[in-house]
Amino acid sequence: MLKTAILAALCVFICFGGNWLWGQTMIERPLVVGLVTGLVFGDVREGVMMGAALGAVDIGGALSAEPVTATVLATTFSIILNVNTKAALALAVPIGVFAAFISMFLKNIVMNVFAPLVDKVAATNNQKGLVRLHFGMWFLNYFLFSLVTFFSVLAGAKPVQQLVNEIPKNLMAGLSATGGLLPAVGFAILMRMLWSKQLSPYYFLGFILAAYMKLPSVAVAAVGIIIVVIQWMRDKQLMALENNQKELAAGEVKNHIDNQNNESEQEEEDFFS
Amino acid sequence: MKFTKNVSPDDRKMLNSIFWRSFTVFASRAGATKAHAPGFMYSILPAIDRYYKNDPKGQTEALERETTWYNITQNVGTFVMGLVASMEKKNSQDPDFDANSIVALKTSLMGPLSGIGDSIFWGVLRVIAAGIGISLASQGSVLGPILFLVIYNVPSILTRYYLTYIGFTLGDTFIEDMYESGSMKLLNKAASTLGLMMIGSMTATMVTFKSTLAIPIAGGKPIEIQTYLDQLWQGLVPLAVTLGCYWLLSKKVNVNWILLGVLALAIVLGLVGIV
Repeated sequence: MLKTAILAALCVFICFGGNWLWGQTMIERPLVVGLVTGLVFGDVREGVMMGAALGAVDIGGALSAEPVTATVLATTFSIILNVNTKAALALAVPIGVFAAFISMFLKNIVMNVFAPLVDKVAATNNQKGLVRLHFGMWFLNYFLFSLVTFFSVLAGAKPVQQLVNEIPKNLMAGLSATGGLLPAVGFAILMRMLWSKQLSPYYFLGFILAAYMKLPSVAVAAVGIIIVVIQWMRDKQLMALENNQKELAAGEVKNHIDNQNNESEQEEEDFFS
Repeated sequence: MKFTKNVSPDDRKMLNSIFWRSFTVFASRAGATKAHAPGFMYSILPAIDRYYKNDPKGQTEALERETTWYNITQNVGTFVMGLVASMEKKNSQDPDFDANSIVALKTSLMGPLSGIGDSIFWGVLRVIAAGIGISLASQGSVLGPILFLVIYNVPSILTRYYLTYIGFTLGDTFIEDMYESGSMKLLNKAASTLGLMMIGSMTATMVTFKSTLAIPIAGGKPIEIQTYLDQLWQGLVPLAVTLGCYWLLSKKVNVNWILLGVLALAIVLGLVGIV
């Protein structure tokens, strides 16, 4: 079972990690994951069909399970344990739901540990450090994540499900809430760079448009662009007015003389025409 | 294409490098506060190295600018990378350039570009590709997954490539025009306005909080706290937490303490059964 567990975890690492390492090419979709797992365990047909079954659920957005783990586990169970598709899904999907939580937890919370390091490599212009950090975080995240699959296959689906059920619900809820609230810190940092007293109402406008009017971000941006255009035209006018006034104040006497000259020239031109 | 032709060989070399690096932009995710900032920094390095060649201080400042929260549908985000490259170019040439406008412009583009990118590539293209793929795969054909990958990836990668160039060329000419007409200050104001609006809308959609606390009433419906919170002010908690973090930041509180504070707050709320 150890070899099977390692191979299954490897499938998760390749599909999930590979998808995010290079170009989000969608090799993490059930359709492709099924093929890869099928290839690894020597039953391509079963893998592809399992992928299609989960892909059909996933496309409707009805799958709350993490698709890679769910597909790899379902395919592994159906090929190794020789159970039918339905039974394999019943074993795999609950663990997939748990995996979705682990994935969120790793990406949003655990990886926060490295946020100060990102600032540090930037502040010291340590470019090699940045590269190492970037890919190191990648490896660590997806390695840790594939352990879920490893232990699920090693220990068997049933005990893992039991274990998951025993985690206090309150703790899970609290940790989930963290993922929801943490982006606030990131947005606060952005606000620090853009905030000014004159412009602060626009922050609240954006919030209200999204929270109350439920406008999608493209629509909020469109409203924003209209505001910006109006603001721009008014500012342009103001700038022109200011410049005019400056000119007037600075060159009143000169203008006066110029005007007189212009007038006399005009008269001459009239005379000659 | 027009956008890729009027580019000097040096620019082309840099843009191609950014294009290839951009594939790894989402490899790491430095938590919910920075998201994919390291990937963006890594992708934009060729521009930073080129424009601040013998200027370590300039490089440091440019890198520090890019440590903020970043997330755009990755094959559309190259537009912003090209644009930022063109602005860093201007910034390195002109000491009067307001570098803040780089962050402002980037922030104002994140929301709408992701909105458009997600709906085109995930909403439309991926669904079409999956539909074709699944119908073949359910008969056990290997062609299913392969066709799925081809249909999705060919247009995605082409978009990624051309947008890198379009962002750079557009930025280069657009910013030059702004500069000559003396409107750079206005551009900065416009980008900040739009940026703040987008952060406001992202606060509403991406910072999430939902209380599950319900007070049971004998013989009646339980009182759900969240309904009351929503009636009071939609998204009250996310807004309050975001503004609280902003306030703490402006009081020069270390960001790591703020992070820990939010973490502790959420866990405590969970343990006492509010969320």
